[in-house]
Amino acid sequence: MHTALILLLGLVAGILVGLTGIGGGSVIVPALVYLLGMDQHMAQGTSLFILLPPLGLGALWRYWKRREVDLLAGVICAVGFFLGGYAGGRIAIEIPSRPLQGIFGTFLVLSSLLILRQSKSGQKRDATHA
Amino acid sequence: MPENLARLFGIFLAACFCGVSSGLIGVGGGVILVPLLVLLFHFEQHRAQGTSLIALVPPTGALALLAYYRAHEVDIRVGALIIPGVFFGGIVGGAWATSLSPRKLRLVFAMFLLVLGGWQIFTAWKS
Repeated sequence: MHTALILLLGLVAGILVGLTGIGGGSVIVPALVYLLGMDQHMAQGTSLFILLPPLGLGALWRYWKRREVDLLAGVICAVGFFLGGYAGGRIAIEIPSRPLQGIFGTFLVLSSLLILRQSKSGQKRDATHA
Repeated sequence: MPENLARLFGIFLAACFCGVSSGLIGVGGGVILVPLLVLLFHFEQHRAQGTSLIALVPPTGALALLAYYRAHEVDIRVGALIIPGVFFGGIVGGAWATSLSPRKLRLVFAMFLLVLGGWQIFTAWKS
């Protein structure tokens, strides 16, 4: 039962990732905390483990074929992720679970506001093109 | 081209910020990187998502994972069970997405994140 629930959770998270091109960990971490009762640190560490293999490779292939990839900017971002990720991980380990959960929530709210902003500006751009 | 160089440096700084936040909260950096590329660096939406995917192909979270692993904060069994679902679900979701309006989807997804984030903040603050 437990195992089936976990498999289903991965499937639902994956569908959301494919639909929006964003997500993954942002859905998996709260699910691990609330559905499986994991501690915040354990949920975040497990989420980073899940993101280790290149799960987005199939999606990337589609973008690549349509020339919708800025390779140089992508490589630069990868280096930034790599270095910044270590700093962030070290900081998180030192923070107790409760405040960490608050920080997690704050980042989700921030990213949702950014996505809403992005949708708005995209709409404007589409309107000027039409 | 100094202007181009300054732009690339700006992208690097944004990626570093996304990297710190991704290690801090244990999610992929794309959640914040994609909107930042669109809003700050005027990437077209598809190009932003494709570029973000490039940055996520190498295991960029490996160093962050190492920090958690050393503190024994990784459940490898549960993680391994989730991976196949995310992979196959991603294919299903990707195919589904083509028949739906991406802007509406983003709106729904943003609302979803807003609720999840608010819930996390509420839980942390209450106890």
